[in-house]
Amino acid sequence: MNIASYTILGIPNFVLLTIAIIAALVFFVNRVRHLYIVLRIGKEDDRFKEPGERIKAVLKRILLQICVLKDVTRNDLAGIGHATIFYGFLCFAFSYIFMFARGFIPGLSFHLLGGAFAHYFPLILDIAGLLVMTAVIWGLTRRYIVKPPRLELSLEAVLILGWIFSLMLFHFIMEGFEINTDPHEMPTLAFMGAAFAGFFANIETTTQEALFVASWWIHVLLVLGFMVLIPYSKHLHLLLAPFNIYFKSREPKGALVPILDMEEAETFGVCNIEEYTWKQLLDLYCCAHCGRCDINCPAYLSEKPLSPKDLLNDLKVHLLEKASFLLENKNGGDEETKEYEGPSLIGDVISEDKIWACVTCGSCIEQCPVCNEHVQKIIDMRRYLVLMESKFPSEVQVVFKNMENNSNPWGIGWATRADWAKDLGVKIMSDDSDVDILYWVGCAGSFDERNKKISTSLVNIFNKAGVNFGILGAEEKCCGDSARRIGNEYLFQMLAMETIEILKNYNVKKIVTQCPHCFNTLKNEYPQFGGDFEVVHTTEFIMDLIEKGKLKLTKPIDKTVAYHDSCYLGRYNAIYDAPRKILEGIPGINIVEMDRNRNKSMCCGAGGGRMWMEEHLGKRINEMRLQDALDANPNMVCTACPYCLTMFEDAIKEKGVEESLAGKDIVELVEEATA
Amino acid sequence: MNVVVCVKQVPDTESVIKVKPDGSDIITDDLKYVMNPYDEYGVEEALQIKEKFGGSVTILCMGPSRVVETIRTGLAMGADKAIHLDDPALEGGDAFATAKALAEALKGIEYDLVLCGKQAVDDDLSQTGQTLAELLGFPHASLIQKLEIADDNKSATVHCQVEGGLAVLDVSLPAVLTTQKGLNEPRYASLPGIMKAKKKPLDTKDLAALGLSADSVGCAGSKTIITKMTPPPERAAGKVIEGEGPQETVPKLVQLLREEAKVI
Ligand code: SF4
Ligand code: SF4
Repeated sequence: MNIASYTILGIPNFVLLTIAIIAALVFFVNRVRHLYIVLRIGKEDDRFKEPGERIKAVLKRILLQICVLKDVTRNDLAGIGHATIFYGFLCFAFSYIFMFARGFIPGLSFHLLGGAFAHYFPLILDIAGLLVMTAVIWGLTRRYIVKPPRLELSLEAVLILGWIFSLMLFHFIMEGFEINTDPHEMPTLAFMGAAFAGFFANIETTTQEALFVASWWIHVLLVLGFMVLIPYSKHLHLLLAPFNIYFKSREPKGALVPILDMEEAETFGVCNIEEYTWKQLLDLYCCAHCGRCDINCPAYLSEKPLSPKDLLNDLKVHLLEKASFLLENKNGGDEETKEYEGPSLIGDVISEDKIWACVTCGSCIEQCPVCNEHVQKIIDMRRYLVLMESKFPSEVQVVFKNMENNSNPWGIGWATRADWAKDLGVKIMSDDSDVDILYWVGCAGSFDERNKKISTSLVNIFNKAGVNFGILGAEEKCCGDSARRIGNEYLFQMLAMETIEILKNYNVKKIVTQCPHCFNTLKNEYPQFGGDFEVVHTTEFIMDLIEKGKLKLTKPIDKTVAYHDSCYLGRYNAIYDAPRKILEGIPGINIVEMDRNRNKSMCCGAGGGRMWMEEHLGKRINEMRLQDALDANPNMVCTACPYCLTMFEDAIKEKGVEESLAGKDIVELVEEATA
Repeated sequence: MNVVVCVKQVPDTESVIKVKPDGSDIITDDLKYVMNPYDEYGVEEALQIKEKFGGSVTILCMGPSRVVETIRTGLAMGADKAIHLDDPALEGGDAFATAKALAEALKGIEYDLVLCGKQAVDDDLSQTGQTLAELLGFPHASLIQKLEIADDNKSATVHCQVEGGLAVLDVSLPAVLTTQKGLNEPRYASLPGIMKAKKKPLDTKDLAALGLSADSVGCAGSKTIITKMTPPPERAAGKVIEGEGPQETVPKLVQLLREEAKVI
């Protein structure tokens, strides 16, 4: 059937098609252009280095659909549905080229690409269409009947899914009419088309021809409509996710972006949406509302006001609302800058409670299929509140002062920092810096009664393995992790620079840390200020000692142990295996996994400086995490982080389960097993 | 309202304090110095007064060059300017000698109110504010926990902590008030505040500029002399009273309280 030369009301079809395409393009391009201009309001961000790696990431995440397949679980198979629709759509996208071209070029068909293609491609399309339809129905059922917690019941979702379903349906209908009117064009392999053809068989041929054109038109309009719909809806991710993945940060995951010109800058942090970088704004466009971030967010799960998904979407709505004002002001030039009278970013759009609820566990980033980076946005707002307004939970002020005056959050006299090691014969660098390893004790290991015991255990292990190590003693300072994550970049940089200076003076090469927060900060953040040292975590270091035969785990420990992944060890630094291998090597230990483990592990509640804040809202995160542990039925929870241990032991006491569950650091277990 | 806040730099309360072997002074080598916490209430109150009535806040601080850091802390919080009394002859003064120098420094500047911390946490003398008021001839109230300035800025109502209660006083201004915990929550300096503080005017005065003679201030001008410093005796370990139930332990406790502790 020759669509190109068909006329409707005397107007040739290709003219109408041209009009339709142009109309759709006007809407589409206009919106995309607007989105682009708005994006350009954002600040500079250098996301262009290492293009090769970036392309690889895009191909892997999108073409292989790792973005959604990575977190397919028994309970959440949606990723498979997404991949089905994605691949199905790819096939159809290809077929649409033909569909549109037929409107202009008479006689064009799949035969253009050879007989085999014309023979098999319709079959592939039919199979794909059927799979996509199944996936859509399944998706709708899931969303509206099963109602998984991460999805919202939005009308937009129904519209889009319905649209996709109709696209498939009209493909079959069109095929059906075409088989009946133009049988030699359509091979019999198109079984869905054949079925529909059979269904329409009794209709008169001329009517069928008209119906074919009608269905072709509906199909064309559906495709064009879909194209227009994309940039106006959350399906913008179809268009932009590849870019977002391409421009994903290539810095270490655990490193926050530094404020570099602290002496010169006039404002710090973000209190206006336009102060985010263009990449941070691109994130907002890309969110697909999938809710994967929410269902793994400890703040959200513990009923705090924060939802990482809503955070991004509230920011997006605000951005688009404020955009016309911003663009006007930007172009206005010499006129004095007007005050924006709409809602304020901090307070109206994002409440302070939300900003302080985040434990910076990084789970949202880890789970997000489109690689959105939530945490930096929250930290940027904290920076504004802390540095510009001195506004933060009141209990934090004393913590800052303690770090300033005594270089530790507890505010215990700095000169007593190494008192825990007094009787252990540990080398202090200022006395003797001829060591292979600097053991970075950290504030908790130096001042917290419970964690001092772990430092002692570690010293015993080092001695047993014959490690030549030293500590900084009173010269050691807080690494600044909490200060930075609470938003006090100034205090953090002060602490960091002083420490880097000291470490350089002693010509330190290799540092072992017991605390994952110190580990992450020293390893990933100090290089921002010229502190390049080899930093290893105790779990890696001990594993190495074991592998080299310097430590032997011989004494059995008959316990069922659940290992809890610390965020800053696991998600941020991908150390999941070393601690598990160590535990496996201890005779007698039976390891059980909590449901949420490894990169889906749930924060203990102390990250992001929350260690130092009261938890006034919602449920207690540490008690929820304890419940995770109890559900796995161990008689011991093993941690590798002083904060996690503190949080667990508090929860254990609070819930009164001391009898059945003990909290231990992995270092203590190693010490016991080597006794 | 122009407010002057007298500020002292003291060792951080968590510092490990060691006395020199000859008992003449403490060892200052490893000390971390901070603003006297009670003075922080003074600075905060002055800033709140300025925010309400306008005017200026001046930090007045005596001590060697290291105290500049503390002065900058006050400026970073929001004070407008500072006077630093720096002269070797001023060192080692008691509350009287210090008040004398402060009083002299206040001559020739305009102010409506002077605030001092109720005491410095290093020597805990709690006399400088009162002495200063005497020397200036202004009314005085100490340990204030609430301060309300009248709209005409000519008088103030203050709530003072007194043994077992609260005294509410009306004072005419200018006056010298010493500030106590509970008056306010001192603010944390913002970063722009810290940056601006580096450029705020700091007027350093030595003895000559003050117009005082060396024998009237510092150690020489003091009414009290430190003859010897000794660290407090080490606290003895606590005692656990052993026994079966209260019938056995309570009599033992009573006996100890009577005979050893001599408190009942
Ligand atoms: S970092 Fe963790 S707590 Fe913060 S928003 Fe993301 S998932 Fe939630
Ligand atoms: S931010 Fe990412 S994970 Fe969260 S809803 Fe949006 S797309 Fe999903």
